Amino acid sequence: MLALRFLLGLALVAVLASAHEAKALPSYARQTGQECAACHNGFPELTPYGRLFKANGYVFPGSTSDIPAVSAMAVNSYTHTQQPQPGGAAPGYGANDNFAFELASLFYGGAISSELGIGAFIQSTYNHISGRYSWDNTDIRWAHSSIIGDREWVYGISLNNNPSVTDLWNSTPAWRYPFQSSGLAPTPETATLIEGALAGSSLGGTAYLFWDRLIYGEIGLYHTLSPRLSTTLGVDPTGSNSTSGPALYWRLAVEPTWGRHSWEVGTFGLTASQLPGRVAGFGTDDTTDVGIDTQYQFLAADYSLSLQASHIFESSTLNSSFAQGNASNLHDSVSSSHIKASVSYDQTYAVTLGYFRVIGSADAGLYNGISTNNSPNSDGLIGEIDYTPFNHGGPGIWPWANIRFGLQYNYYLKYDGASKNYDGNGTNASANNTLYLFTWLAF
Amino acid sequence: MSTFPIPAVLAVALCLAACESQRADVAQHQDIEGYVHLCSSCHGVTGHSVSPTFPILAAQQADYLEAQLHAFRDHSRADPHAHTYMWGMAAHLDDAAITKLAAYFSAQPASRGEPVDDKTAATAKSIFIDGIESRNVPACVACHGEKAEGQGAFPRLAGQHRAYLADQLRLFRSNARANETMHDNALNLTEPEIDALAAYLSSL
Repeated sequence: MLALRFLLGLALVAVLASAHEAKALPSYARQTGQECAACHNGFPELTPYGRLFKANGYVFPGSTSDIPAVSAMAVNSYTHTQQPQPGGAAPGYGANDNFAFELASLFYGGAISSELGIGAFIQSTYNHISGRYSWDNTDIRWAHSSIIGDREWVYGISLNNNPSVTDLWNSTPAWRYPFQSSGLAPTPETATLIEGALAGSSLGGTAYLFWDRLIYGEIGLYHTLSPRLSTTLGVDPTGSNSTSGPALYWRLAVEPTWGRHSWEVGTFGLTASQLPGRVAGFGTDDTTDVGIDTQYQFLAADYSLSLQASHIFESSTLNSSFAQGNASNLHDSVSSSHIKASVSYDQTYAVTLGYFRVIGSADAGLYNGISTNNSPNSDGLIGEIDYTPFNHGGPGIWPWANIRFGLQYNYYLKYDGASKNYDGNGTNASANNTLYLFTWLAF
Repeated sequence: MSTFPIPAVLAVALCLAACESQRADVAQHQDIEGYVHLCSSCHGVTGHSVSPTFPILAAQQADYLEAQLHAFRDHSRADPHAHTYMWGMAAHLDDAAITKLAAYFSAQPASRGEPVDDKTAATAKSIFIDGIESRNVPACVACHGEKAEGQGAFPRLAGQHRAYLADQLRLFRSNARANETMHDNALNLTEPEIDALAAYLSSL
């Protein structure tokens, strides 16, 4: 009971939701005495060893450091969009060419009790653009491993706030590329439910098993937070949906490894009944996401190659939205595809190219005011060049510090339904093309 | 939804947790069970690693393993992977744990690597047995044993990952892995000779 209260206390004290991704945690490096590169092939992407570190509950020991498992990070950036955003990119910001201190996060990352196999990744984030301080990705887990019949069984349970935040591969939504995006650039409106709709606005529990480092299965239930609890945790509940009954998350993956290669193939998904806008009396919107994904990594001594791809198919029956006049179709579907390839040298220099595509049924009710042809369709390319000088250890005075300098370009082929004049005001998809320069600092 | 067997899943997980871990059977020594689990993340439970980034420890000479763990702990072995992975891993090991871990992995059965073609084997075998006198490359067999099984502080090379062996020779040559003797031995080896030796020794 005490342990439970301690865990809940930690989660609350961490007061942490915007879905800004966290990266390599210096506190993990301090705990294990290992470099970021041991667990990360360019953070936050995990190496096979990093996957085991996570599956085993973040408790692997090592270093003799007594510094608490607390880390911090800050992101500063410059954003240029091909066309200015009239009225400003955000309150207090100009229409274009914005320099910004975007966000700062505090983390608890590491073992809570190595003996009990309890560890955590708890992030809280101050988003300087929105001015909100909220909880962010949170994963508190208990894990254990046994050898049964000459095979390793690693299993555990997790209390977390984002379906797929617990996953071990970087092809599922919570930890996939791009790992950092501008908070001052427009992005397409439509995504599937599992792509962040419940991130930080829900709480859930999952149970998982990683068998023989080959087969991974996980299942969990999530429920949205009440408006009061959302507000307490810093998440703006305005316009939010609520789940009606628990949302079911599942994950199944197989990852053969040979030599320096690893290749994962899997499926994941989320099914939920929701009250849109938390309005009862009109039935529920029922959504099922089914994803397939794959990841290939080749990790050589001084360079690496990494590929990820996923395709999520979403099917919705919009009883409530339809009855309320907010959707024109009773049934809608959306599919979301992502693929990216990256090469890195010495875990210091990396080049990444990704492509995404969202395709869905046109719905005048759902996409009215967003897309002139009522379509959610978008696709584009995202390229990035990164320089991470301290992946093998930071400066002598604080060797756990890490910094990344990133140059990213978002190139839209289609945006919210069209290439040309998608909003009826003559705006083309290319108007949103974004040049994003950022520094990410963790210590 | 209410019929979904989450309680059953949790019950199974908790039952598994409550079960006495059988890793002790593998580890032989209850008190290094946790360390063996940790080592196994990269080296495999029985010391047979999958990735050549990490050496195979099974059947390795206990004295050699012990010396390396001490060298990781006191940072005298400082090649890049030692720094990335092993400094942290070894930091908490006391002398007794090091001795037990070395004994555990050295007691695991050996394995053979991939076969090698005859021409490569002939080139490598000649260096292994006779050395290259004109370039002051001594015969490997003198220290590493007739079957490259190692002896004492001299490591077993037979069956090791080919890429790992080649990497180590290059690290010795560049002095990134500091070892005066092996630095001198590797200094005058050509790239093809290093590759041939690694392939041959791995196949043994």
